[in-house]
Amino acid sequence: MADSYSLDCEPTTRTLLRRVLDTADPLTPRRPRSARTSAQRALLETPSSKKLRSQTKMTARRRSHKARSIDRLAHIQADGHLEEQTPRTLLKNILLTAPESSIVLPESVVKPVPAPQVVQTSRRESSRGSLELQLPEVEPSTTLAPGLLAPGRRKQRLRLSVFQQGMDQGLPLSQEPYGNADASSITSSLNLTFATPLQPQSVKRPGLARRPPTRRAVDVGTFLQDIQDTSLALAPPGDSLRTPVTTLPTDTVLEDTQPFSQPLLGRSPSVQHSLPCPSHSGAKDVERAVGHRTWSSGPRLQNSGPGKPAQLMAGKVEEVGALALGFPNTSSNISGEDGVEPLQNGVGEEAEGRMKEGLSMRGVEEATGAQGSARAEEPEEHTEVTEAEGSQGAIEAKEPEGSSGDEDTPGRTASPELASSTPEFLRARRLQFPEPAPPPSTAVYTDDYSAEHPEVGWVGLTEITLTSEPPETLSARLPPRTRIPGPRPRQDPYKTGLNHYAKLFSFYAKMPMEKKSLEMVEKCLDKYFQHLCDDLEVFAAHAGRKTVRPEDLELLMRRQGLVTDQVSLHVLVERHLPLEYRQLLIPCAFSGNSVFPAQ
Amino acid sequence: MALSTTVSQRKLIKRKAPRGFLKRVFKQRKPHLRLETSSDLLVHLNCLLFVHRLAEESRTNACENKCGIIKKDHVLAAAKVILKKSRG
Repeated sequence: MADSYSLDCEPTTRTLLRRVLDTADPLTPRRPRSARTSAQRALLETPSSKKLRSQTKMTARRRSHKARSIDRLAHIQADGHLEEQTPRTLLKNILLTAPESSIVLPESVVKPVPAPQVVQTSRRESSRGSLELQLPEVEPSTTLAPGLLAPGRRKQRLRLSVFQQGMDQGLPLSQEPYGNADASSITSSLNLTFATPLQPQSVKRPGLARRPPTRRAVDVGTFLQDIQDTSLALAPPGDSLRTPVTTLPTDTVLEDTQPFSQPLLGRSPSVQHSLPCPSHSGAKDVERAVGHRTWSSGPRLQNSGPGKPAQLMAGKVEEVGALALGFPNTSSNISGEDGVEPLQNGVGEEAEGRMKEGLSMRGVEEATGAQGSARAEEPEEHTEVTEAEGSQGAIEAKEPEGSSGDEDTPGRTASPELASSTPEFLRARRLQFPEPAPPPSTAVYTDDYSAEHPEVGWVGLTEITLTSEPPETLSARLPPRTRIPGPRPRQDPYKTGLNHYAKLFSFYAKMPMEKKSLEMVEKCLDKYFQHLCDDLEVFAAHAGRKTVRPEDLELLMRRQGLVTDQVSLHVLVERHLPLEYRQLLIPCAFSGNSVFPAQ
Repeated sequence: MALSTTVSQRKLIKRKAPRGFLKRVFKQRKPHLRLETSSDLLVHLNCLLFVHRLAEESRTNACENKCGIIKKDHVLAAAKVILKKSRG
């Protein structure tokens, strides 16, 4: 039967179901119905065949939904109520009533609702049995069928098991004499299962479309990629293996001597183009590394504040990755790229040492100063620019540095040797420092700061350079850092607690109040607490105890006139305390002959 | 099966009792005494009732003075009365 069908539209649950109904051999005298349905069969053939063939759930459902709904509705209206409920009839009614999202079929083709038939247990069973038999065959399509049948909800995906459960429920129900009840129950069960959304035809796979796109992997991947790209940029100069892309940023960086330079922005994308390069290219790499570090450190600042700047300074992400293999992991607080961060940390520390040598590195200043992740990119660019300039100049100017730079170059090309590259890189950085004017002062400051916070340095440095007042920013930043709010006087938490009750006072008063009156209330509360504690102490001592127990409290309230013979403590508890506290205070019997709280 | 001694189920309780605050206050004033677990809830209940009475009295005072706002003296007068009443 299925073969004859042509796939005009995607099979849907509805079509499959209809197919099942149509194909199932009715052992009962349903000839008239089948005759009526035969007309629809041709109509249904196409969708149901399609349904059988393709296993698309949603689209099929939607397609046939509309087609079916109109037909079904017509049938149902025509035939009225269902006197005899069989699975077949129920399903057909469902198919008819459930709205479809597919193309509307001409009503003439609408299949008449199977007239309620004389319910015979045997017939029902047979029909159900046939249906059951059919179910396994159309199992793949039945998954679609529920979707087709479900009119409204868009959130649930029908499962074959659910659908089959519904069918199974229908089967035992058939044994019972009540037909309508069966029908209703079956229908309800079926309806429950057919909770597929009614989607417009354009939506092919509503379930999938509705799913929020999973971006996690992509984000991380892109982030890593970006990091690597930026790390490439930050690779120490002299890396002959550098891809041409990396050279581009250098040019731009060299040209632009301004902080917050735009070319750096252009460089970052170009940097990203270059795949992670294990080897470092001389100054350019340094610059990029710096920038990259700041950039990468920026996003990661939240995770590992100081560590990141150090890492950025130390090396490119790629390098770090390579270096991570061998580089000692100095900072453990770095999250994200495990290898990269430890390497960067170590590199950063080394860099700091270098910085202390005398060169004030802008990056160091920045690192010490700024922790903001948002500025990572800016400092990155800025750092890159400055470092690029400085590194080039410095490398050229100083022979030892140059030699170290040379060393750096080959070392960097080695890439896996973070230790060598990092120090060299730092050296190159330091070379750049003399150029910028502000750095010297900040450098000194930075050194001190870096000494204190070796890991903090790099990112802050970049950020500081961005701000034209690195020392100030540093100083501004430090106090909040070092200042620790000491233990407040006893008043504060005490006042807060009293405030809590003062607010309740204003709530109970239901009238506007002055601020002074609230202070007055707090004073009264203070006095009240004094009286309370004294009374409780007296009561506990009277009972020969040193622990205040609820009985003391009850006695206190009785003496205050709150608890009377008419108003018991439990009543007050019920009135004024939330339910959770009531459960804790008032003994209640639970199952298992237990009372909580224990009396 | 009994419920736990702590407030379980939903943690969001409206008008939570500042149990820590109450315990701390009691401990500061009477360090040689101990406060039982459930009794601090009753202390909180007592505070609520006290504040309630105080507010009622203040409101009455303010209304008697035909004042739309509760002023400090209203509260003061009310406190005198209520504190006297609350004296165990």
